[in-house]
Formats: sequence, structure tokens, C-alpha cells
Amino acid sequence: MVYSAKMLNDLSGDEDSVELEFESDSEFNDDEYGEGSDTSDELLYKNDKKKTDYLDSINQKESLDRKPLENGYENDGVPRLTYNCLTTDQIYDLVLLRLDRIQPIFDCPYGDIIVMLQKYGWSEERLLEDWTEFEDKVLISCGLKVAKQIGCSRGLQNHPDFLCHICCESNKRKSFRLECGHEYCLECYQHYIKDKLLEGKVITCMGCSLALKNCDIDAIAGENSSQVLMRSSIKGFIQKHSNHYKWCPFVDCNCVIQVNNISTLSEFPRFHLSPYVVCKNHHRFCFKCGLESHAPGDCQVAEVWVKMAQMESANLNWVLKNTKECPKCGVNIEKNGGCNHMTCQSCDYEFCWICELCWKGHGGGYYECTRFKKDENNGAPETKNSLRKYTFYYKLFSEHENSAKLDWALGLAVEQKVKALQENIGLSWIETQFLPESIRALIEGRTTLKWSFPVAFYSDPSHNLTKIFVDNQALLVGAVESLSQLLQVKEPQDIINRKLEFFNKAKFVESRNKALSECGRDLLCKGICIARTT
Amino acid sequence: MSSLCLQRLQEERKKWRKDHPFGFFAKPTKKADGSMNLQKWEAGIPGKEGTLWKDGVYPVVIEYPDDYPSKPPKVKFPAGFYHPNIYPSGTVCLSILNEDQDWRPAITLKQIALGIQDLLNSPNPDSPAQEPAWRAFSKNRKEYERNVIEQAKEYTK
Repeated sequence: MVYSAKMLNDLSGDEDSVELEFESDSEFNDDEYGEGSDTSDELLYKNDKKKTDYLDSINQKESLDRKPLENGYENDGVPRLTYNCLTTDQIYDLVLLRLDRIQPIFDCPYGDIIVMLQKYGWSEERLLEDWTEFEDKVLISCGLKVAKQIGCSRGLQNHPDFLCHICCESNKRKSFRLECGHEYCLECYQHYIKDKLLEGKVITCMGCSLALKNCDIDAIAGENSSQVLMRSSIKGFIQKHSNHYKWCPFVDCNCVIQVNNISTLSEFPRFHLSPYVVCKNHHRFCFKCGLESHAPGDCQVAEVWVKMAQMESANLNWVLKNTKECPKCGVNIEKNGGCNHMTCQSCDYEFCWICELCWKGHGGGYYECTRFKKDENNGAPETKNSLRKYTFYYKLFSEHENSAKLDWALGLAVEQKVKALQENIGLSWIETQFLPESIRALIEGRTTLKWSFPVAFYSDPSHNLTKIFVDNQALLVGAVESLSQLLQVKEPQDIINRKLEFFNKAKFVESRNKALSECGRDLLCKGICIARTT
Repeated sequence: MSSLCLQRLQEERKKWRKDHPFGFFAKPTKKADGSMNLQKWEAGIPGKEGTLWKDGVYPVVIEYPDDYPSKPPKVKFPAGFYHPNIYPSGTVCLSILNEDQDWRPAITLKQIALGIQDLLNSPNPDSPAQEPAWRAFSKNRKEYERNVIEQAKEYTK
């Protein structure tokens, strides 16, 4: 797999190498697949060479740095995914570029072609097919031609006194009319268009099905209104073509990943690999299932786990929230009264609700407990029955999920720190980059850790490799926690002094992350970890 | 209710009183306090001459949403009305009354009324809304016709 978050900021320069292909699986670029790794890297990054933005070069560097990691188990014959990271605006820009090429075929104004493409769900092929056969029918069905010419001109009209048939108000001065002769006041049209812009469909005359073109929409509802429509239309397109395009699943990220060689996708499961992609905001997710990175598990593990969590979580959440297990026999107990002196109904064990210790020697403190609660997560998990085992892993999974969320918040704080460093100490931007890089390593480590619990859950606990996996897990936990702690350092000078420590700890997390991922994949490949629905 | 909706409905009423197709009626309902409720109308749709429906005037309730005329009104027959394109609740399934299909803000009450009259005798078997009438219409035309004539007697002019 090659990591190439190609950035297409200056699209105009890249028109030769980047082409938007709608609905054509067949034309993916064979050259970028299956070649020697060095040359394909050259190929992938040729577009980025003219970038001056440092962020991009960081991005490249990072990708190249990861290369040996991938090569650890990816030799020739292993699938590589080539993809672009785009935004809806960039996709629209690509559409416009494409228009230049197809315009001579249609010999219509751009606005007309856009309406037709929109009507045909942005499928050039289908449109061209119909166009070559029945040009006139296409024009009429897309609302670009009136059935009967009545000699009305299109556009804004000025009147001293106009009666609009929508709002039924007279003395309107401005109105809009199409070739069909239907004319309504500007306010009604504005109101109507405002509602329709977000639907992403072709907007028609209020009286018939003649289409409003982008220039009409801009003339009525103000400049750039048609942009809103185009954006929603393209969103619809992406939704419909989810095998080629996927939204980044991270909150508030509006990147779209477009995969060029989609036939490669089917190759991944064989290797227990997942087609991970990284958007330009450094969010890494699986293109196949649309979840965040779920290494060391494969898509199968993730799917089964998520399904199970959905089924179980409602029950489990209630159980976790409202009950405690009897410290002796493990039965779930719901507390329905105020007293902390509990007596288990199944084994008659008496204990304190707060500290979960034996009631004997607890003294008379019925309503309060002064003892500390013992740490539940220390010690080996008891896996008496599957629900308990599942509960154990589910707890860990959701705990790390929460921690990952907190780490995002931490990431924002780090951004502030970077700013402070730049301002207070006068460091250059590049010298502070170890901070965001550390946070990235932390979050990725945390994500791997989180998804390692499903793998552990579905693995055969008696196998030696599972034990090694659990050991690896513990090592990554240690690495992640120590990095996490380091990132709490607030004093700017202190941060700079400990730069090397940041760097080392982040590297350590990365290497542990890699080791755990590989170990997990080993479990999957050897059939020790088998995810199945119970 | 927006002023646009209200104003337009007042105008619809004026237009209807000035001119409406023969045999039809339509009037706004009364609120509990006796004032006129322009957002809810009662109307009668006569069956076309020369069709199975000719003997009846079929009652409908027309409800205009607050964002009319951006959104279409909802037209309802009595619940259980026998017609392939009318839902068991009585709601009419007609493209000009569907916002995602052919609804246009310029469509008037007269056009709606005539559209519904037209639908009565030319059902669209491709978008069934209830089972009994649709099944009879496509499988057992005799039974369908008998039921339609039977129903017309319930709603005689």
C-alpha cells in the first residue's frame, strides 16, 4: 500500500495527470500497481513536486518514512491502493476541467451541459449515449428546451406593476421569466430556490419543468448560490458512488477519498490487510468498511465486533451502569435501596457496595465508605463465561475509545502550545513540528490498541501466539501512556528541553504499534483469531 | 402561518369563487371559534361523465402546510377509499402532489381538483398505494368495476 494523500490545490497545473472518472472501473491506471516500490513512489509524487507548502512535504516525508514499515510484510504481489484526497469543491473543479473536453461534442453552453450532467447523475457515459441517439429528447427531458416556442426571452424583467401568481401580490417591480413564458416575482423565486439549493437536484421553473441554469440561479439568488447547489449535487453523487468515493468518517472532516484502482480492493482480505487511506487532515480510515483504522484486526473482525457491540451495548451499558458483580460469585447485582451493606442473593456473601470488600471488618459505616475502591483492571481477566469475557474486552475497548476522544482534545491543546512556543520562544514552525507528530503517533497507537481488544477477544486464548499478542498489547499500553503523560507538560521551555524525549517516545509508540499490528495479522493469517457471530 | 401562504390561499379562494369547473365544490373549513381556516379545505370531486365513477361526488379534505406554496398540499379521501392509488388512510398518491416529483408552486387548486378527477378513472398500476383495489384492478377487472360502481352509490350526487 502506498500512502499518497495527493493534494490537488493547484488543479489547473495537474490536469494531465488527474482525471475524474465517473463510473468507469475499467480505466484505472495499471502502471501504478504492481511495480517496484521506488518507481511507483516516483510516479505518485510527481504531481507534488512543485508544492512549496511545507505541510505537503512533511506529508511526503512521512509517507516515505513509513515505507520500510509497509515493506516489512508487503512484497510484490501485495495490493497497493492509489487514491486521491479531494473536497467537493475540488471535485467540482475537476468537473469543470472535464467540461472543456466534452464541450465540443455537445456544442452547447457550459450551463446546459452542467444541467444535463446533473440530471444524468454526473454520468458522462450515459448522457453521451443518449445524446448521440436522441439529442432533442435529452434536451427536452432535461428541461433545456421548450416543447413549443413562444418567443419569450429568459432573464430578469423590470415592470412598473407586476402581479405574481405565486404570492398573488401586485405592484412587484422585479420578476424572472423563462422561455416557457412563466414569470414570477423575484422574491418568490428567491424563496423557492433557497429551499431547493440543498437538495442537489436540477431546479426548475415554478410553473413547469424547464430548468434553471447556474447563471439564472446566481442572477436570482445572488452570486455563488449555484455553487451551493453544485456542492449538494456532488455530495449526492459521492453517496451514490460509494465504491469509488468515500467520505472521511471523522467528525467535521470534509475530505473525500477517490480510489483509482478499485479492483485492487478485493485483493486485501486474502492477506488479512485492510485498504487504509489517509485524508489530508491525517485521518486514517478503512476504505472498505468506512471505519477508522482498525488494525490489528481486519475488516471481518471489525464488522463482527461492531455488530456485536451494537447488539450487546444497550444491555451491557445498562448492566455496567446499574449493577456490580458480586465479588465472590460474580453474579450481577442491582442496588435498589440506599444502604451500602449488600448481601448477595445467590451466595449470601456480604460486602460493601462502594469498595466491594467483605463487610466484615468494615465497621459500622453503613452509608459511607472510607476505603479506596480497588482497581478492577489489574490482574488477569476471569473468563468464566462469554458475556463476562466480552464485557471485559468491551470495557477496555470503550475505555480506549474515550481516551482517543480525549486525545483529540489534547491535540487541540497541543496546537495552542505550538503557537505559544512560536510566539514566546521564537522558534520556527518546523522546530515545533515534533509536537503534532507526537500527538499523531499517540492517536494512532491508541486506535491500534483499541482495535486490538476485539482481536484478543476472538483469539484462541490457549495459543502461544495469543500470549505474545497480549504481551505486545501491554507494551503498547505502556508506550502510549508514557507518551500521553509527556504530552501533558505545559511549560513551553520545558517542552523544548524535552524535545528528544518526545521524539524517542513517539518513535517507541510507532514501533510498538507496528509490532502489535504485525502480531495481530499473524494471528489472523494463522487462523488463531477467527471472528464469528455468536 | 407565513403571510405568503395566507395571501396565496386567499387568492386561491377568490379565483375558485370566480371560476371553477362544473360539478366541483371547494370551501375552507371553519375553526372552532367560527373563523375561516384557510389551511384546511373541504372539496367535492365529481366522477367524469361516461366513466364508472360518474354517479358520485367524492369528498376530499385538502390541507395546506405552512410552507405552501413551496410545499404541496395534502389531499385526503375518506379512509378506506377504494382506488389503486389512494392509501388506506385516504391520502392521494399523485405526482403533482409530490414535492420530489411534479409539484410546482404555480399549481392552482383548480389544477389539483382536475388532476384528482382525472386520476379517478385512470389509475396508475405502477404506483400502487393500497392492496385490494390494486389487486382487483390488475387481476380481476370485473370485480374492480363492481366495487367502483358500488362505491359511487355511497357518494351519489
